[in-house]
Amino acid sequence: MSQLQCAQFEQMLEEHDGGLPNAAAAHVKGCAECRMLWSDLEAIRKAGTEWGSEEVAPPEHLWSSIRLQMESEGLIRGTTAGAGWLASWFGAVPQWALASASISLLLIAALLASYQTNVSTANNFSAAARLPAQMSTRSMREKVVEADLGKTLDGDLKRVFESLPERNPLLASSLRENLGIVDNLIAVCEKSVREEPNDALARDYLYGAYEQKAVLLATATDRSALEVQ
Amino acid sequence: MKGGVASMWWSQGVGSALFALALAGSAGAQARRFERHFNVQGKPVITVQNATGRIQVRAWDKPEVMVAGERASASVEIDTEQVGNRIEIATRVISENAAPDALRADYEISVPAESELQVRSDSGNVTVDSVHGDMSFDTVAADLALQDVEGYLVIKSIGGSTVCTRCSGRLDATSISGNFQLLQPTMDNVRVQTSSGNILFDGGFMNRGIYVLKNYSGTIEVRFSSSDSFDVRATSLYGNVINQAPVVPDRHNMPAPRNGMAKSLFGSMNDGRAKVELSSFNGTIKISKRE
Repeated sequence: MSQLQCAQFEQMLEEHDGGLPNAAAAHVKGCAECRMLWSDLEAIRKAGTEWGSEEVAPPEHLWSSIRLQMESEGLIRGTTAGAGWLASWFGAVPQWALASASISLLLIAALLASYQTNVSTANNFSAAARLPAQMSTRSMREKVVEADLGKTLDGDLKRVFESLPERNPLLASSLRENLGIVDNLIAVCEKSVREEPNDALARDYLYGAYEQKAVLLATATDRSALEVQ
Repeated sequence: MKGGVASMWWSQGVGSALFALALAGSAGAQARRFERHFNVQGKPVITVQNATGRIQVRAWDKPEVMVAGERASASVEIDTEQVGNRIEIATRVISENAAPDALRADYEISVPAESELQVRSDSGNVTVDSVHGDMSFDTVAADLALQDVEGYLVIKSIGGSTVCTRCSGRLDATSISGNFQLLQPTMDNVRVQTSSGNILFDGGFMNRGIYVLKNYSGTIEVRFSSSDSFDVRATSLYGNVINQAPVVPDRHNMPAPRNGMAKSLFGSMNDGRAKVELSSFNGTIKISKRE
């Protein structure tokens, strides 16, 4: 497949929210890279939709695999029989808001790590001919990441902030005030990226701002979990 | 005459009541004060969790950790636990309906100089004086004042500011809106990032030292002396770089990254022994000569 077709495919993705037009579907069949991109986008969309629903419990195998992964990386320790790992992590009363936030954090960590890897990979490519396609795919992924990341974070922050106790108003007000600062940063950085889409530095700052928002979510989740205890 | 006696009795009654109230208040304050002692050997690890209130940690020369302080009301309890050289101190809320002010606890903690500290606080100041062990701080709105400390310092704050005076060792610090002031540091590895806060580094750059200071807005200021030796890379994407250092083109032939919009400064001062990286999104970077 030519790069031109790949670029057109990405354009179609931007213009069509949801299903693939016929031409794009045909292109996906023959182009491994675009197929991978489409598959990633679908996974993110699906995950975003599932996490948006508060009533849906995550499948047991998802918890198990995340737990095993985190244990293997030494991020958490094995739990005693009879106590759920989520309960041991977040306290005696697991709250779906907190669990959802933790999943978002895992997603954000993965996406940011993926972004870093992409940057590094792109920087190391010696074959100049592959760069346009690589960069194009990367920028496409990033657009989706930015959009979904913002929505996911906002939804989780709202839930976690609502679960913060009223008895510590200073904590809540500080977190809210800093959320405003970070949102403002994100807006400024997004404007900068829109104006200079090829400026890697501006994009780095944008991702840094999202990271800050994730840190804020982690802190709010942490404090909220402590208060539950 | 009767009026005089009545008046005297009345005044005596009021006096007695006030005295009783004062006694009761004193007894209450006494009951809310706490002091606990833990014998330790070598380098203890001390963990403090206190959502609201002041935490003062000071080094002393006894092989003992003393935890003293006062809780604002009976709505909070002070939990302490010692397992060998590990001591955990935590403020626990026991009344769900207490007013925010009633949940405060103030600590004065004396520790052996080589202690390791892990402090977690949401609001209220944290001060550490003369402790020479690794330490980590996790705060939300609490301000942090460190003085004459040495070790690997990790600071994570949301809105709290940090003043580090005569700190040695290594520093990793992040905040969203907190300011950082490093005064007379002797640190060879410093990484500080704040989003909207200011950063001030007022001290010498050590040979082989690495100093990475970053913010989005606000001011980053580093002050140098004429004997300092460092390579500097300063970039503000939409802000300004103000430089007083007599830098020459990089002595180590490192190419300067290109960015059309950014205000940048790349170069070496003296032999370029330390590495100084300053970056800001739209803030001002100042490289000033120390007075």
